[in-house]
Amino acid sequence: MLFRSRLQLLLLMSPATLLLAMLTLYPISQILINAFSYVDYVGAERQFVGLDNFVELSEDWFFAGAIKNSLSFSVLASLLQVGLGLALAVLFDRQFAGRRFALPVIIYPMMLSTLVCSAIWRAWYHYDFGFLNNALLSLGLEPVQWLFDPDMALFSVMLVDIWQWTPMAFLIILAGLQSIPADIKDAALTDGARGWRRFRHITLPLIMPQVLLALLLRSIDTFKLFDKVYALTGGGPGNSTETLSLFIYKQGFKFFNLGLASAAALLMLTIACALSAVYAWRYVGAKS
Amino acid sequence: MSAIKQTSVPVFSDSVAAPFSGVSRLSARTLGFYLALGAALTFFALPIVWMAGIAFTPSGEYVSDSLSLLPAHPTLAHFEALWRDGFPGRLANTLIVAVGATLLALSLGFLASYALVRFRFPRRLDHAFLLLVLVIKMMPPIVVAIPLFQLLKGLGLLDSKLGLILVYQVYTLPFCIWMLLSFVRDVPLSLEQAASLEGAGLLRRLWHIVLPLCGPGLAATFIFTLIMAWNEFLFALLYLSTPSHFTLPLYVSNFITENETFWGQLMGIGLLSSLPMLLMAGYVQRYLLRGFAMQMK
Repeated sequence: MLFRSRLQLLLLMSPATLLLAMLTLYPISQILINAFSYVDYVGAERQFVGLDNFVELSEDWFFAGAIKNSLSFSVLASLLQVGLGLALAVLFDRQFAGRRFALPVIIYPMMLSTLVCSAIWRAWYHYDFGFLNNALLSLGLEPVQWLFDPDMALFSVMLVDIWQWTPMAFLIILAGLQSIPADIKDAALTDGARGWRRFRHITLPLIMPQVLLALLLRSIDTFKLFDKVYALTGGGPGNSTETLSLFIYKQGFKFFNLGLASAAALLMLTIACALSAVYAWRYVGAKS
Repeated sequence: MSAIKQTSVPVFSDSVAAPFSGVSRLSARTLGFYLALGAALTFFALPIVWMAGIAFTPSGEYVSDSLSLLPAHPTLAHFEALWRDGFPGRLANTLIVAVGATLLALSLGFLASYALVRFRFPRRLDHAFLLLVLVIKMMPPIVVAIPLFQLLKGLGLLDSKLGLILVYQVYTLPFCIWMLLSFVRDVPLSLEQAASLEGAGLLRRLWHIVLPLCGPGLAATFIFTLIMAWNEFLFALLYLSTPSHFTLPLYVSNFITENETFWGQLMGIGLLSSLPMLLMAGYVQRYLLRGFAMQMK
């Protein structure tokens, strides 16, 4: 028996629906209008300009760099996090002394504010006094310009993201590993499947949905990257760590270029939706 | 290292040893396992241990000897400086905004997820609603940041706690609905049917049956949402302008970008602002696994 009262349904659903509509549907409609307009911020006037904003974006090498950085960061960081998370999950999919204490230690970083993470790592990356360069020097190696070398900076930001969010991929995959029924594991053992072969042909196919889910959640999250570049590099040196979020932030809140920022936001929303649609489709496919 | 190995080998071999494997091979595998575990623990824990150490290290000492993790002469000077600098006020701001946003999301999300599980929707509107929730979860928040700025300005809620509580629903409400959906599904329908036959109305069923049975789920969702709101940075950066209104992540960012050399104070804030979350991490870890298992359904 499902309840049918329309009045009660309306009362239950309307607060959440109205709030979400106000906070997302209204803003998205504004973005749609502004993306095709010239917006005079001071006079609060709007003028339809067709595709001008998109043409301007396509000629903006900062925007091209931001798309490239956001996409490559998203692909590389999420693959590394899921790979490391998978290895960690296999490590933790057994009983050992101290497991109860090791697990919370591994997941601490994801409880921290991104800004706190960035603060720690900014200190670690310091060229003269940083922990990492001190460690390199004590091993007799050359110090590294972690945040000020244009070829290095994006990877340094990525390392912080890997440190903070690999635990999430780890937890998702561990949940999958622990839901494999014991009799399947036993059957594989009696068949003589061991080590890498057992992992490759029995375990991995069974946890594929979780691996894909972790990949989906992490790639969408890394695609949004803002806090870490804001705190660690500000997008520099040059535009080597400029991301789409940072580009929209600068256009909208520093240069008050609302039309251009809206056009970029619309493109970013499209990419994010396409990304999640591809994965959702693959994920559903893997499930059935 | 050897002490760890000796005490742990029996436990490990009890559970995993296969009857055919030789003793030497087993101990090599055990050693490899503990080496990998040790490397992982070091990578994830070392930065946090370092942060705690620096927070108690007098200014000037961490420059000369930065590979040591514990301070030679521990001091509380950084915490005293923070206390005078207005840390308590920022802590109170964060607490009010995070708890407020969490309670709002939890109550609206609870009503909505109850309706989604128990009510028949006209024209499959429930599917449309769930799709909207999913899209919002995937949407980069910067996309809606500019219109939300104008919305808050129009409502006169810029630079206020209430405004921040409102816009945080972009993150917290979809998350709460998604989490609570599966907890409400676990409540047996038969209990509600029986109560309904005895004449219990919607509010009484919600209050006396569904709410108590969802208790653990509500608690877990509360904690996750609280962590999310506690750590939020982007909207706080965009919509707060008066320093005394700042939340902790924004306060931290000011220290990073402007006073890079005050590491002691910076790590002090880091430690203080994350301590409540770290304490909760141990408590919520069993819910974490369950939460992720449910997201897959």
